[in-house]
Amino acid sequence: MNTLLLYPLTGIGLFCIGLYALILQPHLLRKLLAINIMGSGVFLLLVSLSLPGISVQQDPVPQAMVITGIVVAISATALALVFMIKIAAKTGKAELSNLEKE
Amino acid sequence: METLTLMKLVFDTLLAGAILFIAYKTLTCKDLFQAIVFFIVFGLLISVAWGRLGAYDVAMAEVVIGAGLTGALLLSALVKLKKMHIY
Repeated sequence: MNTLLLYPLTGIGLFCIGLYALILQPHLLRKLLAINIMGSGVFLLLVSLSLPGISVQQDPVPQAMVITGIVVAISATALALVFMIKIAAKTGKAELSNLEKE
Repeated sequence: METLTLMKLVFDTLLAGAILFIAYKTLTCKDLFQAIVFFIVFGLLISVAWGRLGAYDVAMAEVVIGAGLTGALLLSALVKLKKMHIY
């Protein structure tokens, strides 16, 4: 077995852990961390499947896409943090599960 | 040559296990500050994984943006939440 096959499996595991926590954790900051970890899992899968040991030859396009994706991810994170602070200032809570009852 | 392959296998296994464990601790530990610090450590570990995969430019971008800038943004948001006495 090629040892580099470990990294796609790690990416799939990261995506699953992030999805689990995104559904179950009520706090908004924790949900944001979960989305970031899911994104990292997808990036790891995308880069590690384009390696020369696994595919035929190394492809530079996925690496460029991943760099773009990292920048988009941080801008989306900053926007979501501003939304979270607005929600906390308006409702007094930073959790999503208690918002539905009121 | 044989020992080099074995060392690479051990390093890859340890790195993959550490990434999964730190991600699990990030999403399940009680304290939010602790979760953010675990997330910064997660970004550093994943940049090591990208160096191992040969994508050095992605590793540089990740260690600057993913670990540094995201960690600073998350910590400043946590401080704002604590100033509003929301936790």
